[in-house]
Amino acid sequence: MKDSVIHNLDPRTKLYFAVIITIISLCFNEIIPLTIIFLFLVPLFKIGKIFTQWLNTLKGLVFLAVFIIIIDTLFISFNLGVAMSIRLLVLISSFSLFFLTVHPDDFSQSLIQIKVPFSFAFALSLAIRFVPTLAQEAQNVREAQMVRGLELQKGNIIKKVRNFIPIIIPLIILSIQRALLIAESLESRGFGAVKQRTYLYPLKMKFKDFFIIGILTFFLVSIIILLLTGLLPDWLHFHLPF
Amino acid sequence: MIHCQNVWYSYDGINPVLQEINLKIMDGDFVGIMGENGAGKTTLVKLFNGLLKPAKGEIFINQKNIKTLSVAELSRIIGFVFQNSDHQIFSRTVAEEIGFILKNFKYDPSEIQVRIEEILKQFNLEQYKEQSPFLLSGGERKRVALASILCAHPEILILDEPTIGQDAIEKKKLIELLRELNRNGVTIIIITHDLEFTAEYIPRCILMSKGELIADGPTKYILTSEQCLKEASLVEPQLAHLSHILKFDKSLLSIEEMKTKILEYIGGAR
Repeated sequence: MKDSVIHNLDPRTKLYFAVIITIISLCFNEIIPLTIIFLFLVPLFKIGKIFTQWLNTLKGLVFLAVFIIIIDTLFISFNLGVAMSIRLLVLISSFSLFFLTVHPDDFSQSLIQIKVPFSFAFALSLAIRFVPTLAQEAQNVREAQMVRGLELQKGNIIKKVRNFIPIIIPLIILSIQRALLIAESLESRGFGAVKQRTYLYPLKMKFKDFFIIGILTFFLVSIIILLLTGLLPDWLHFHLPF
Repeated sequence: MIHCQNVWYSYDGINPVLQEINLKIMDGDFVGIMGENGAGKTTLVKLFNGLLKPAKGEIFINQKNIKTLSVAELSRIIGFVFQNSDHQIFSRTVAEEIGFILKNFKYDPSEIQVRIEEILKQFNLEQYKEQSPFLLSGGERKRVALASILCAHPEILILDEPTIGQDAIEKKKLIELLRELNRNGVTIIIITHDLEFTAEYIPRCILMSKGELIADGPTKYILTSEQCLKEASLVEPQLAHLSHILKFDKSLLSIEEMKTKILEYIGGAR
């Protein structure tokens, strides 16, 4: 993991940040406030030294964002389509900040310390930890089938979907096999032996974490009050003409 | 024939994984590629069948540049058996699994049936024909994986660590099969860490280290060369080591040679 101001924050602070940004973004259906929230997130990725990884995440969303714009334009309005796409980017970005700067072990530890049951927290962090392994395995399976003449890009849409069956099935089987092996390995090392376990690196919140949580809570409460009292400036409600 | 001319490859575009590879593997060769972990062995063979394309240099398969051929086209010439057979098994039955490559190559259904029956017999898999391949043992799944490639009669067969997890009897069956294929003109390329297997059975050995070819020649010279073994981070085969201990005039690699030598000595002592 890299070393930055963002990386050094407690994972619970970053999780709280992601949740607060999600709630705030759900309070608005307009382009300008959602864009402001999005632009607020951008420098955080620079500070966290994860700007390139974040951009790569966004690249994968382009197709979905365009799809949302098209569907909303057809059925409601272009304005809403653009707003919803920006909201999607905000939601994904806020949680990307969390997942790109939190080690899977710290993630599991943070969930445990907010009283999530240990087995659930552990299973979740294990699942995240194995995403790169699964990606590599998918690549291996793909290559193993390509050398048997499988051409994934050939044929009509139905054929292309069917061509993924020789990829998906071995991947599922291998994942199940791995899960069973890991379970046996964990049990043979005492997993679940005692209810009350100790932790090697318990997390401790520092003053900066409480400060950031305080600021975020203040912003959330302020925005809710402004929304309820209708005191938000009119330019925030700007709509595209179509 | 496989011909590599000054081939370079890098996964990240910065650090080369293969450097200046110049290599010719002729039709009918039986080659073992050895080296330490990370030497570039698997990367090299993945270049042969088009899964990877060289960053620099050219590779020719039967005088055709692989840059002009797709993986599917190359898979008609080159059969590749992966180390983990579970990466490819997905069908409901062993027969379907074996026939998969033939369907992809658009063989006639009657031809597919004939070839499946032939290969099931050759690999003693007839009793498993309608069984799910997932219910077979590890060794049996490896045989199914190999059968599913060989039914297409490739000219070149590449096997990545075929002896891992195989008992002595299975290894012996494997080498008998590979020798028979080689006698019938199939070029065999094996990536292996199994020194004893290479020393005993494979006539030509290529050693790699840190992305470079450090030796290429008859196994009996390569695997008895202290310098080659040191550069490739390998230890000498057991029979070669025994030859040193017994102060024989040359290092021996095969059991037959050792038997002959020992009998010579015993006969001399009498």
